[in-house]
Amino acid sequence: MKSYWSRRVLGAAAVLLLVIAANFFLFRIMPGDVVSTIIDPRFSPEAKERMREVFGLDLPMGRQFVIYVRRMLTFDFGISFLSQRPVWDELKSRVPNTVALLGSALILSSALGTWLGVKAARKRGGFTEKVVLLSGSISFSFPSFFVQLVLLLLFAYTFPVFPLRGSVSIPLPETGLARTLDYLWHLLLPAGSLVLLGFGSWAIYVRNLMVKTLGEDFILMARAKGLPESRILWNHAFRSALPPVLTLFLLALPGIVSGAVLTETVFSLHGVGKYLLDSILGHDYPAAGAAFYILGLLTIVSNLAADAAYALADPRIRVGRRVSS
Amino acid sequence: MKKIPRWSFIAFLFILAIAVAGPAAFPGDPGQTVAKPFAPPAWSGGDAPPPFSGPISPSSREITIEWKWDAPENLTLKGQLTFDEDAPVKLVWTTAEGDSFTLASFRGGRLWKVDIDARDMAFKTNLGIPPFANAASMLFPGRGLHILSLEGPTPSGGSLDLTLPGGKWGLLGTDQRGRDVLSLFIVGVRVSLLVGISATLLASLLGLSVGLASGYLGGTADSLIMRAVDVLLSIPILPILMVFVGIWGKGLWQLVVILGLFSWMGTARTVRSLALSLRESCYVENLRSIGARSWYILYRHLLPEAMPVVLAALSLGVPGAILAEAGLSFLGLSDPRVISWGRMLHEAHGFGAFTAGAWWLIVPPGLGISLICLVFLDMGRAIEEMADPRLKGGDGR
Repeated sequence: MKSYWSRRVLGAAAVLLLVIAANFFLFRIMPGDVVSTIIDPRFSPEAKERMREVFGLDLPMGRQFVIYVRRMLTFDFGISFLSQRPVWDELKSRVPNTVALLGSALILSSALGTWLGVKAARKRGGFTEKVVLLSGSISFSFPSFFVQLVLLLLFAYTFPVFPLRGSVSIPLPETGLARTLDYLWHLLLPAGSLVLLGFGSWAIYVRNLMVKTLGEDFILMARAKGLPESRILWNHAFRSALPPVLTLFLLALPGIVSGAVLTETVFSLHGVGKYLLDSILGHDYPAAGAAFYILGLLTIVSNLAADAAYALADPRIRVGRRVSS
Repeated sequence: MKKIPRWSFIAFLFILAIAVAGPAAFPGDPGQTVAKPFAPPAWSGGDAPPPFSGPISPSSREITIEWKWDAPENLTLKGQLTFDEDAPVKLVWTTAEGDSFTLASFRGGRLWKVDIDARDMAFKTNLGIPPFANAASMLFPGRGLHILSLEGPTPSGGSLDLTLPGGKWGLLGTDQRGRDVLSLFIVGVRVSLLVGISATLLASLLGLSVGLASGYLGGTADSLIMRAVDVLLSIPILPILMVFVGIWGKGLWQLVVILGLFSWMGTARTVRSLALSLRESCYVENLRSIGARSWYILYRHLLPEAMPVVLAALSLGVPGAILAEAGLSFLGLSDPRVISWGRMLHEAHGFGAFTAGAWWLIVPPGLGISLICLVFLDMGRAIEEMADPRLKGGDGR
């Protein structure tokens, strides 16, 4: 148990350090003055001097990196070139939106995918299996943003039931409940489209796992004992297929984060991915670096969460035996 | 056994043919304005006026236009006429109501060059209308027969072309700048193919060499390389690509290199596991025992063994690269001068295709991307089956 966790946390820390290092060096290998990627030439001389001090730009590279790591860990990202405000102030309000989009998409698509996958495995050749196979192959080759554009065209233009853009209505509704509903109304199409694109590959994977598991001897044993079918399906077969399903969670995560960036752009959501794009297009380097870092951090944290779930689901880890991963 | 070539190979050849010969088969500059912005396709445009063009030449001195719609966006008249005699000529426009305007006149000479655009201020001043009024609506006050005629001596050669942009256009309509979507679509296939194939070639080369080295060397090098692969596979690639493109620039070749640098991991893994098993095989052991060098074994024996796997990975990797290119272009992180399917979707999204309801700007490039991805996926599977016939007719893949 201990070795599992120390390895996982150490791995996450290494990836985090790598993301920070990539950030640090990427924005310093640019042609031209290094300082110009951290300090806007339009800042006043006093502000420039202050930023130089804060980032220790006159110090050697090694010292600079240490300072940089500390600033990243305390969410002190410097000042945005575009808005001339601290980057974290801008990002703070966006993180919950991205988390809401990512979280709802991940949970809903995995739940739907798992359910359909199990159903498809139970009745081979049935209608569910056909749906699963079709949606899986669609999600593999259709660009997410194209499907979303079509959905937007259908449900925001032809049949205007959903908003065309934004995370909330302007002006904001008055009461708390109306605000929540408004937020969900704006979230439904983006998150729904991610679910639509995501559940197919889940379902196929779960189906293949379940088909294999259902052919095993202990299932035959459970049937022989006369257990109810649903109990065999969920408590016996699915339970033993759960750890590899959680592995898929880990594998799918980076793709879903990438998809969220595109989704936020398509639906003009007030999120971190859209901020990253706007910052890159506006050559706002501190903001772009910070947004990239936050996306990396979100991925790493969800990775750890999935690891924790894996540890709970796999008894070999719970009792502390070493698992070759 | 039946020996029917897979549909994807035929489709691939077809796409290749379009990419190579398309622009020649559909002449005309894709950057040219052909109709009004967001003109729907001709077959779905309904009551909108079709585009019109007609010549004034020695054989036809008059153009009669039967106009049944609202005034067109614009009117252009371009070309040159040659005359034998030195006498004044003029171009007269007669509207359905019977009013007539002199569009242009010529005092006489041998060669008359005409270049009229109804939006031109000088032209409007000549007609005697305010510079900010719409000249085309002056010339088309109502519905009926409008006549453009050449008055004066008959020209001996040359011709003038009268063009009225329509409210609907071609097979796929026009975009926000009035460009023909069909020719943009056909030009766009080139970028997808070029970027997709060359980025994947680069990635496969990288993956092949990294995988062979990792699998054959083993030990610390192997575990280090595989750790790096794990890390690269666990962080979202699109944000990295965005940052790279933002820093290095949006050129086509930069894009190819960046995509190649970040998509070799899958191939490396597959090749590594192959090399790992081959390394322990008897024939490699025999080779080593008769004194073959590592380099020789890698180059002459492992590389050919890995080739089918790499070919399949190449074909299966192209969709990823195409989707990544399309995604970056859609985000606006591509060279604005290069027309690609992703760029078309970007412009559709950014320049109001939604408020115009212009589905013809969104559906063709999106379906194009999907289709080309499906073709490469199927080709990859076919190559995999050739390399490993056990896969054929397996479970529900």
